[in-house]
Amino acid sequence: MNDPLGLINSGGFSPLDPLRGDRPSRPQGPGQTEGPGFADVLRENLAQVNKLQQDATTAIEDLQTGKRDDLETVLAATAKADNAFRMLLQVRNKVMDAYDEIKQIRV
Amino acid sequence: MYNSLDIAVSGMVAQRTRLNTIAANLANQNTILDASGNPNPYQRRFTVFAPGDGNGGSGVHVQSIEINDAPPKLRWEPNSPFARPEGSPDAGYVYYPDIDPVTEQIDALEAQRAYEANVQAAEAAKSMMAQALSILA
Repeated sequence: MNDPLGLINSGGFSPLDPLRGDRPSRPQGPGQTEGPGFADVLRENLAQVNKLQQDATTAIEDLQTGKRDDLETVLAATAKADNAFRMLLQVRNKVMDAYDEIKQIRV
Repeated sequence: MYNSLDIAVSGMVAQRTRLNTIAANLANQNTILDASGNPNPYQRRFTVFAPGDGNGGSGVHVQSIEINDAPPKLRWEPNSPFARPEGSPDAGYVYYPDIDPVTEQIDALEAQRAYEANVQAAEAAKSMMAQALSILA
């Protein structure tokens, strides 16, 4: 495989088989969880999105106060933060949908 | 995940640096003195690009800004205080920069179009990310 730019499969997963790759193993049964749980992953992602947004805010502040003049990088940081937040919002909406769904179950 | 966006941004930064160099060339096409006021014509600058972002990533970056040491243009201005002194082989001539404004303007146009292309690539990357999100939504 010729890959001079190192771009092929740079995400770490095979695009056609998302289940293969470097991921935490499945829990064996109830109470036996291995690797980080969903809450940990969510918290980690939340921290990453927060960091992207803080980076974007700092970049905009630096641009406005004249500390830097590379408009493109600042705009790219803003676009990244925007996209990451949208992604997080969609995950949150999915979680809330699932919660509502469970809430509807009659006991 | 943001690879294509970063690559496009690196191209934009490189082309902007190139346009800065071209603007400096155009601004100094009649500059016959150096910064300290001595007769020493401005020499044309040009940017040299290299692949990679300089710290191992992909993209492009400005490797260096080189000075084109072509011989200056000679203009017959014997009354100018900056004319070559008597006794030198080109006495009475003033050294002018060897900058062709037409070439510089074409270069500027090219840099502008390349910048636009990078902006389009960044737009495409953004739109692809947004469309991927719409799978989840």
